[in-house]
Amino acid sequence: MNNAVTDPMDGFDTTIHAPNRLRICALLDTAGEAEFAVVQRQLDVSASVLSKHVTVLMEAGYVEQRKAVRDTRQRVWLRLTRQGRDAYQAHLAALRAIVGP
Amino acid sequence: METNGGVVRPTPEQARAALADTEQVRASAAALSATPWPRWFVTAHALYIAAFPPVYGGMVASPEWLLPNLAWGVLMAVMTAAFFVLFGVAAANWRKATGVALRLDVLPKRAVVPLMIGLPALLVGSPLVFRLTGEPLWLFAASVVGVAVSIGFHLAFVRLHRKAS
Repeated sequence: MNNAVTDPMDGFDTTIHAPNRLRICALLDTAGEAEFAVVQRQLDVSASVLSKHVTVLMEAGYVEQRKAVRDTRQRVWLRLTRQGRDAYQAHLAALRAIVGP
Repeated sequence: METNGGVVRPTPEQARAALADTEQVRASAAALSATPWPRWFVTAHALYIAAFPPVYGGMVASPEWLLPNLAWGVLMAVMTAAFFVLFGVAAANWRKATGVALRLDVLPKRAVVPLMIGLPALLVGSPLVFRLTGEPLWLFAASVVGVAVSIGFHLAFVRLHRKAS
């Protein structure tokens, strides 16, 4: 995110705005880091749908993943990158600006 | 949707709905992050807090109190090591159970900041007062207050978790 942004609308991000991606960012921003299955359960989406959206967010540099073994099975943990967190906050500011006072 | 400079932007109603949706997700995630710790660890934490002032008081006592200072020091090292092992186990189990990161900033700052300053001051300050006055009542009073704060902290998590759920 550019720190020189003065108009909140400049923070509007079409990559984040897709409903499921916005919800993924909201969850990861609050939880800090969450397991893929937990995100799936919280958002009530299929694994393939979540995977598709996570891939888009990762390609944008907004989300990163970490693999960890639990109960002999590999689990994927997701978290927002610094860039993703900034972009998400800027996007929320843009939405609030659209809503108005 | 409206266009502005080629970018499709939501109407105020759509933006409001999107914000409401994120708030719902945020509340749900906050409930997970506020999942209370298991009772066995809450008990271990309360016991550690209760034992800290008398043991530290024994370490700094002059003249020695009940046991040699070194014996109190060994006891402090053992119980602190045991506490951190239990903390590691509890934290790992908590992460497995919740599937989210362990965060210490879940409770409001107005509650956490005074606690982060007040509790260490109480636990370390009371043994120093004991050293100056020779009155062990300071140690046991600090233990009681420390345990009350520890349990209160846990109950705040329980309440926050229920409220957010």
